Formats: sequence, C-alpha cells, structure tokens
Amino acid sequence: MTSLMPLTTVFPGLVWLMAALALVQGLRRAALWRVGAAAPVAWLDGLAKLPRRYLVDVHHVVARDPYASRMHAVVAGGLLAASILTALAILPPLAGFRPYWFLVALAFGVTAVGSLLVGARRYPSKQKRLSAGHFQILPFLLLAYAVGGTLTALLLAFGAGSGVFGSVALALAAAGGLGLAFEVRHGPMRHAAAGALHLVAHPRPGRFGGRPDTALQPLDLDAPRLGSEMPADFTWNRLLSYDACVSCGRCETACPAFAAGQPLNPKKLIQDLVAGLSPAEPAYAGNPYPGGRAAEGERGALARLIGPDARIHPDTLWSCTTCRACVEECPMMIEHVDAVVSLRRHETLERGALPEKAVGPVTELRQSGDPGGRPLAARTDFAAGVELPRIADGGQAEILLWLGEGAYDLRYGRSLRALVRLLREAHVDFAVLGPEERDTGDLARRLGDEATFQGLARENIATLAQYRFDRIVTADPHALHALRNEYPALGGCYTVVHHTAFLLELIRAGRLNPGRLPDLSVTYHDPCYLARYNGETEAPRAVLDAIGVARREMSRSGRRAMCCGGGGGAPVSDVPGERRIPDLRMAQAAETGAGIVAVACPSCTAMLEGVTDRKAEIRDVAELLLQAVEAGR
Amino acid sequence: MRIAVLLSAGLHPVSGAPVLPRVEAQAIRLAAGLAASSEIFGLHAGPEAAAVAEALGQGLDRIEHVAVAAGEDPVPALVARLAERAPDLILAGRRSQGGDESGLVPYALARALAMPLMPDVVAAAAAEDGALRLDQSLGRGALRRVLVRGPVVVTCHPDAPAPLAYAYGRARRGRVETVAIAPVATPAPALAAEERPYRRRPRIVKGAPAGGSAAERLKAATGESGPAGSGRLLIQPDPEDAAREILTYLRQIGVVAAPAEPKT
Repeated sequence: MTSLMPLTTVFPGLVWLMAALALVQGLRRAALWRVGAAAPVAWLDGLAKLPRRYLVDVHHVVARDPYASRMHAVVAGGLLAASILTALAILPPLAGFRPYWFLVALAFGVTAVGSLLVGARRYPSKQKRLSAGHFQILPFLLLAYAVGGTLTALLLAFGAGSGVFGSVALALAAAGGLGLAFEVRHGPMRHAAAGALHLVAHPRPGRFGGRPDTALQPLDLDAPRLGSEMPADFTWNRLLSYDACVSCGRCETACPAFAAGQPLNPKKLIQDLVAGLSPAEPAYAGNPYPGGRAAEGERGALARLIGPDARIHPDTLWSCTTCRACVEECPMMIEHVDAVVSLRRHETLERGALPEKAVGPVTELRQSGDPGGRPLAARTDFAAGVELPRIADGGQAEILLWLGEGAYDLRYGRSLRALVRLLREAHVDFAVLGPEERDTGDLARRLGDEATFQGLARENIATLAQYRFDRIVTADPHALHALRNEYPALGGCYTVVHHTAFLLELIRAGRLNPGRLPDLSVTYHDPCYLARYNGETEAPRAVLDAIGVARREMSRSGRRAMCCGGGGGAPVSDVPGERRIPDLRMAQAAETGAGIVAVACPSCTAMLEGVTDRKAEIRDVAELLLQAVEAGR
Repeated sequence: MRIAVLLSAGLHPVSGAPVLPRVEAQAIRLAAGLAASSEIFGLHAGPEAAAVAEALGQGLDRIEHVAVAAGEDPVPALVARLAERAPDLILAGRRSQGGDESGLVPYALARALAMPLMPDVVAAAAAEDGALRLDQSLGRGALRRVLVRGPVVVTCHPDAPAPLAYAYGRARRGRVETVAIAPVATPAPALAAEERPYRRRPRIVKGAPAGGSAAERLKAATGESGPAGSGRLLIQPDPEDAAREILTYLRQIGVVAAPAEPKT
C-alpha cells in the first residue's frame, strides 16, 4: 500500500476514513432517534452555545472527580488535536513539512498518556461504578491508535516513512482508530457524538443559563397519548440524550434508592431506555438494579418499557424520590427525573397502574384536595392558641403564608408555630388562606397524575387571584417549587420565598434580634427541593450562623446533599429495599458529631425524625431561630 | 356474562365534592375481576351523567345514563332499563354516601325484578356452569361462601378489594350513553324519617363501670381487668395447645362454628 501511495497521504487518509466510518456508524444510530416525537430545538442558538456548555457546564460536573477530569482532558483533547492535525495533513504543503509531523507526534503522545490514564481506571480491576463490556476494550483501542499514530508521525518527522516499520505502525494506528470509529454506534465512543449533539439540542436549554431549570414540563391532557409507554413516545432529543450516557456510574453512587437497596439504578434505567430502542444493543455490563433482576422483555421502538415482564419493573419506576441527585451528578447532562416522570405519567394516566399504597392518597387529593382526606379547615388546627390571620378577612396582606400539607402533622405543627411566632415578633403583615388552601398537587404530579395536579393548580390559582399580597412565604420546599416554578406554566406567577430566606431577611433588616446559642452543634440537611431544585443553600446556613451555633457540614451537602427519602411520592409508594433512606442520611449526620440536625422541610422533618435509635435531635431552622430570639430577650 | 354496576351520585364525606362512592368503585373492581369476557356497563338514573363520569376512569368503559328529573324516583326507570338489558349480575353499593341516594335502591330493584339479593359481598368468582361463588361478609372478618345461580342483585361491602386507581386517559376514552326510557314520572317515595346532620357520639363500652375513678375506668376500657386481661398467657406452648387455644377463641367470637355434636 505504502509502495503505491506515500505514507504522508495514507496516514491522513486513514483519519478521513475513520471520520467517514464514525459518520456512517453515527447515522445508523441517529436513524433510531427519528422514531421519537418531534421537539422544538433552537439549533443555531444551541450550536453557538455549545463550546460554553461543554467547557463550563459539563466541566463543572466532570471536575468533581479530579482524576476523571484530568484523564478526560488529556485523552479527549489529545485525540481531537491529533486527529484534526493529521486530517489537515492531506494538504500537500503540510504533509511535506517535517516539523509539522513533530507536532502531530506530540499530540498523539499526549493521547497515549491519556489512554494509560483511562486504562488505569479499569486494570487490573475496574472501579466499582464503571461499566465493563465494550468499555473494557476502550483503553486498548485508544492506546493502539495513539501509539501507532505517534510512531507513524515520528517516522514521517524523521523522513523515514517508507519502511516495513512504517507499515506496522500505520496498521496499529488503523486498528485502533477504525475500532474507535466503529464504536460510535454501540460502544463507548457514542457518548462523544451523541453528547455533543445533546448539548446542542438539550431538552432543557434553560439549565445552562446559570439558574436551575427544574420545573416538570406540563403535559397536554388532550394529547392522543399521555406519557411514555415505549421509546417512540419520548421526543427525539430525549432519545438522543440517553445515548449520550457514558456509563460512568456517578448517578448510581448519588442515588438514595440505590444506596438503600431499592430496585433502582439510574444508570441501568438510562441504559434500559437505550437498549429498549434497539435489539442490537450489546448487553449491559454495569451494576444491576439492586435485587438483581435480569433484563427481560421485548426491545424495539414500539416495545412496552414498564411492566413486571418488561425491561423496567414498575418497582424500579416507583422507587425514585425525584431528588435529582443523579441529574446533578451526570456529566452528560441527562435528565433522569424527566424520564421517570414521563414513564410514570403513562402508567398512572393511561393504565391506572399506581402502586397499591399510593392509590388512596392520590384519590383523596383528587376528591378532597388533601392527600390524607382531611378537612381543609383543619389545616390551621396546629395554630391553636396562636393568632393566625385569614386573608379572607382583610382581602390583602403583605405576606401570604402558605402552610402546605405539613400543617396537619403534629410534629411539624411545632415548626410552623415557631415560624408564626417569629413573624409576629417581627411585626410582619401576614395572613393564611385557611380553609381555601388546597394541596399544591406536588405529590400527584411526581406520581404522574398530571390531571389531578393541573386541577388542583387551577383551583389554587383561582383562589390566589382573589387576594392581594406581595409575596408568598412557605416552609415547604415542595410547595415552594410548585408555586414558584410549576404554576407559571398554568398561569399563576408569584414571588415565592422560602421561610429560611425570609427569616434571614428579617434578621438582616434588624426586625429580629436573635441571641446566640454557641452551645449547640448543628448540621444542616439540605432539602432536595430547595437546594437542587431551586439552588438555595446559603440562606438557611446564614440564619444558623446568625444565631451563633457551631455549624458542621456533612460530607454530602448543598446541591450534592443526599435525599431524606421523602420526595416523589416514595413514602406512599413504599417500595421495599434492604435499608431505609432516612437511616442512611442520619448515619451521615451522626458522622459530624452534631447534636442537632437542622431541617427546613416538612418531609425531611418527618422522615428524619422517624429514624429509630437516632442520637441527634431534629429541629427546623425556624425552631432554632425562635429559641435564639427568646434567648436574646 | 352481562354485569350491570349501579352508580350513584355521591358526595365526598369530608370535602362534600361530588364523587363516585368508594364502595361502588369497589363494586366495579369486583365486576372487572369476574371474567374478562364479561360485558360490564354502569347504570345511573339521575338528572346529570357528569356526576358518575368518574367511574369511567376506574374500570368501566361504558355508562348508560337514564335521564330522571331531580326529585323523582329513579327505581321505575332503572327497573325498565334492567328488564330490557337482563343482566346476569347487578352490582350496587351497600349504602348511600352523602348524595341523594337512599341506600334502598338495590332492595327495591330486587323486589321489582323478582331477583334474589345478596348483601355485603367482598369477593366474587365464576363457578362452573354459570354459577357465581360469592363471599359474603358477616362482620368482624367472618365470611360466608355462597353459591348463586341465575340473575342476582349483589351489594358490595367496604371490605372488598380497594378500588382501582383512577386513570384519566381511560376516563377520557370511556363513553356515557343516554338511554331513552318511556317517562314514568313517579315522585320519590316519601320516607317517614327525620334527617339531621351526623354527630359523633361517645361509644358505650359494654360492661364498663359507670362510676369509679378515671384510672379505674381507663383500666376497664383498656381491658386490663376485662376479658382480655383475664386471658391465658402461654409462653412457648406446645403447637397442639396453641392451636386448640386459638380455635377456642375463634369459636368464642363466632368466627368458627362450634364443633358438631358427636353422633351417638
């Protein structure tokens, strides 16, 4: 071959051939995305923002694992640089310029170092969270391409490219390079092609704007099919996003349900969506769903995804707490929770296949506006002895206090009483809706019952439209998320503030003068719906600092905090596991040695307080602040 | 098998919102579990069909609605329609739930159609040659199994399996058909009963001492000195003894029949 054509042409030709093969393999895979539903994509905007999304947003996540970050920078940067430089050498002036080949050799050398770093994660034994299968061949392909490329480029640089040695080096590069290109369809290299396209056509472009974009997208209840039953029901860019998965397993290490041994593994779930799309997909080689259920069921764009005999068992679907820890950790920006909710929507709306224990609460929500079927007028019973103004009496107030479902709970009533007393102390003009307040419908929405959610939301929006208020304050992050982020799509736009942020405001304005409680050691547990869904992690900590407690941080805190297990309808679905999520979280809290776990959410209060044998007390931030204010008198 | 499920316009016991009574949703589940090949339809007589449309999401595909003006007796219209359709099984709720229902309709229908009525059924299964095997609740967990042949009216007990979840998509696909029945305008029978709102009353504990200190009354109520307190405590008993003890208790509370007299 080299005798017919000079190596300076064949070598760049190889890279062009690789590109062509990668393109063909990519297009074969892309043909499958076309079965998905249409989706509006701002192509030009996405393309223009691709570099920023990759270098800032993706890197921000990747850099949490410094080794992986360095490895990826070296191997991907080297691979791209070396391949592009070599491809450019098809131009005769470059091909004949020997120092240029030194540059190429350098780029290939960097790639070779990167491939060794890739290999070190997998050999002699692979890290637990990584997948095996095709991924185990990747370091060899990379190394073959990089070493072959380095040698070929060096030979060309020294002008010795015509010997047998040159042919051997080129053959090595060709084996590795064509192997890599071939892997674009089913193997590890798919993440590069699909991932780049995914960043351009991301279904939630808003999340790259610096603010969390976490509201579930409203479902058109008049659509011919509700939710997703099979791969073809997802929009095409969602199918594309699942193909971007690189099986790194960061999601499974973050998933509370996986840690508790419930049958959910976010990586396997995404890989089941990938595999469900095509029967040709190679077998999954990562950690299974806890409980070890083997993949079964039909595959194909029109095959049912959920069912006891399908690829994804219903228990897997109902184990998710919608805490978004997987989404937060995913370097490929995949939206796992959207997939779960979309699948749940089909199960609930079309098949009525809610988990047995969740049927009651959802029915009560639909029929009486409260998941417990309790009288709405009893919501204010917690405030016996504390004056609680009703907004219906005056028609307006500066602050509307949204009580939420926690008000019915005896334990959480204590937190709300503390909050109400603080508001009185600060002379805030506030009022509650009282018997007119219905549930926000959060539970129904997370369980896929979009019809009930939209019904409740419309009723609440109509109620709120009757009154004048500046802001809504709520102690329930789930209500906060629904009111702030999800009601606007249905026509209700409000300024919603979490009680911790509002209390901080009052302290800073001098309207509350807390004393200091230096004897208390406190660790703060971030609620998912406040920290991850709304990016608010600072206000509660600032309140705790203002009252001078000794504050310690758990190893997982802020936006990377672990869920208490109380979200997404998980407590009512109650899928059995080996351990309980709140037990795990309290064990993490115990590691800090703090005597008090500060919480800021009724679900967290209930879940964490329900842990048996716990050493720490559970106190809402408002309760601690009230104690400080009383101490400061 | 043709099954008619009678639907009434109930009210939610707490919120007062118009809802399908729970026990009728349970009746739908009983019907759905009977046989896949059954023809199941809901039947409602009243001014508005919207009141029972919720049943479409809970397992029914089709509801027949017989228009009856508000305040009129629905029984003649229901009798006329049921005589026309001649279902093999008529399922109904056990009692009314807050709306205009009286709870007497199944009985009035059974009399008018000359059909047997089986109250308080918690489970139904098809037996051989078209018979029905019904489990009837006798209260406190006791059941009686009954084999019924021929058309029958069955009322459903709250201990039957919980209702199916409401599926919005199914409700959307279901049909409500208005059926014309020759108008037989009969005013609703005037019930000689006084109506007043429900008020929870303290339960009278049988055998509780009327006087005595609060502590004594608590002791009596929690059973520390009552029949439960006087029971025998067996620690790691012989399985034979334990079984005998359990059987004796079950007989005492009437769940298990007393042993047959030995025939001499």
